[in-house]
Amino acid sequence: MTMTYTENSPSRPASGMGASRLAKLTIDLWLAVALVVITMAISSVKPQLLDTSNIAAMLKTFSIMSMMVLGLTWVIAAGKIDVSFMQIAALSNMICASCVGYGWGWAIAAGLATGLFVGLVNGWLVAAMRLPPLIVTISTAGICASAAAALGKGTVIRIADPGPVGSLLNTMLWGAVPVVVIPVLLIGALAWFMQERLAIGRYIYAMAQNEAAVRGVGVPVGKLTILLFGLSGLSSSIAGIMLAASLSSGQPMIGGPYLINGLTVVLLGGMMVRIGKPNILGTMTATLFLGVLFSGAALLGLPDYQRQIIQGVLLALGLAVATIASRHHRGKKKGH
Amino acid sequence: MKRLRFLSSGYGRGMAFILLVLIVAAGFATAEPRFLTQASLSGIARHMAANGLAALGLTFVVIVRKFDLSLAGVAAFSAMSMGAVIAAGFPLTVAIAAGLLIGLIIGGISGFAISRAGFPDIVTTIAVGSVCSGLAFLYTGGRSIFQNFFQSGITNLNDARFLGVGVSLWFLVAAYAVAWLVMHKTRTGLAFYATGENPNAAAFSGISTSRYVALAYMLCAAFTVLAVLLILAESGNAETNKGANLMMPAYAGVFLGAAIMGGTSVISTFAGILLITMLLDGFSLMGVPYYYSDGVVSLILLLGVVAFSDIARTWIGGLKVLFGQSGTAGRASGGQV
Repeated sequence: MTMTYTENSPSRPASGMGASRLAKLTIDLWLAVALVVITMAISSVKPQLLDTSNIAAMLKTFSIMSMMVLGLTWVIAAGKIDVSFMQIAALSNMICASCVGYGWGWAIAAGLATGLFVGLVNGWLVAAMRLPPLIVTISTAGICASAAAALGKGTVIRIADPGPVGSLLNTMLWGAVPVVVIPVLLIGALAWFMQERLAIGRYIYAMAQNEAAVRGVGVPVGKLTILLFGLSGLSSSIAGIMLAASLSSGQPMIGGPYLINGLTVVLLGGMMVRIGKPNILGTMTATLFLGVLFSGAALLGLPDYQRQIIQGVLLALGLAVATIASRHHRGKKKGH
Repeated sequence: MKRLRFLSSGYGRGMAFILLVLIVAAGFATAEPRFLTQASLSGIARHMAANGLAALGLTFVVIVRKFDLSLAGVAAFSAMSMGAVIAAGFPLTVAIAAGLLIGLIIGGISGFAISRAGFPDIVTTIAVGSVCSGLAFLYTGGRSIFQNFFQSGITNLNDARFLGVGVSLWFLVAAYAVAWLVMHKTRTGLAFYATGENPNAAAFSGISTSRYVALAYMLCAAFTVLAVLLILAESGNAETNKGANLMMPAYAGVFLGAAIMGGTSVISTFAGILLITMLLDGFSLMGVPYYYSDGVVSLILLLGVVAFSDIARTWIGGLKVLFGQSGTAGRASGGQV
């Protein structure tokens, strides 16, 4: 039920020859290289890919998607699973849309509070009630989806004024970069700092390997689990609020497709930087990668279902690399 | 104390379950008199047949302590495949055989990836499900298939009756009877349970655990195909969203049944799915909007697993101590898992 990936490898080669360091960097950041390659390949066939309006659209999708899965990344990195994030986003989206009448400030607060609350409930059920994360989050996902649909009686809630979030999304810098990218990147950088430089990052990756041992050395694993699920709910509710502003409406059915999208970017992201382990930088790169791929596929005229097949294959590929990397790692360790 | 131990035994749980079913039925019957009419009951039987087959398949996977989230994708792809075979003019048996073959292949792929290659089960089955629901669009690009459906006789699976009961329910009972015999009366069944309980110990006892895990996934996919077959028979056409509503009831049936009956088994799944189908049909009869159904099932599932969790049982044990009953009473009810 839990997903285990590779051992932590704290002893990174500190320094070496310039060439081998470059090789290591390429291996670490190969997804970023793939991103550049695929962008160049698609834009050589369809130059519209790099039109300012298309770049703006891709960056908007990137901002929403990376908020959707930022917290999920750590939940999966800690060896747990959360399949409720997209429905939390849908519920926050509907709550935000139905509270806009009281002013955008309240709407945002209500949306965030909903996401945080559901996330904390998930975490509490997993940590304190010792229930399997899948069963917990599958149930809360169903409840959130129903609640979202019930708020709009099965249909959408229109928003007249997309408010401050809308202006963040629709104001462009240099004609192609929505302003919202800046706070998203700042949040990403903060999360990266927490993951790489603070103890909490070490605990997350240690939990995936041996929760009992982490508990044994005195880490409050239960509280950490609740925190991770809470953060996952909070970050996907940010995405839900952004979607409300972006679509000028609350859409109850918006969650569905994000499940596979979200898991794909997290696991694909786990193929770079910390090979076989979901991490923030990888997730954000993979989000951009998938955004370019889908935009390109749409420009090339591929129907929706073919994109879905491509995505499933990419997800399987991410899994295969993660699994093989972890086995390789384990094998090497045994050899020592 | 003896009485309390009886309550936590298998018979006590069975009685408690029957009581729960009667209470739910009585509740619906008073709230909505149409609940006990012939039409409503045969509707429940039909829906239970479809939900029950999917849940039975999932039971095997849960017994080996894995999850399968590809149900909806497998159902969509096999529904469209069977529809395409029927539309091409082949007899129904060929269509069913093709559907089962597809199910076994997909289940085999997931099972192999998880048991042999060591892929994580949840994400692997999500990926497989995603690819399958994409493949479902291959035949018609998403349009409904209905050609030859009535000539092929598939609707008989839904309409025909035997001894006054729809054939689909007999089909369900037969499937559960065979599954019960295999899972609880043979070495094969024991091997499934051993694989789930402790794979290492099972492997050292000479059980090929990866084979049983793969087999569980194949059975799950095959039963999902049979479940969606009944749905096609009811609606008389094949669409890509057929089977989208199979997964939540299946999970709720398996885990709620396990929570009530004290462990995953063929009988507990039967109990769980009976309860879930009654609730779903009762609510839809009372005119509760469609979008509440998933939420209701999810809420019941969550309440069920919380109420019957080990932690909740220790609380109940603590309450008993608090109210002056003997402390062993708490252990008697908490000891059985």
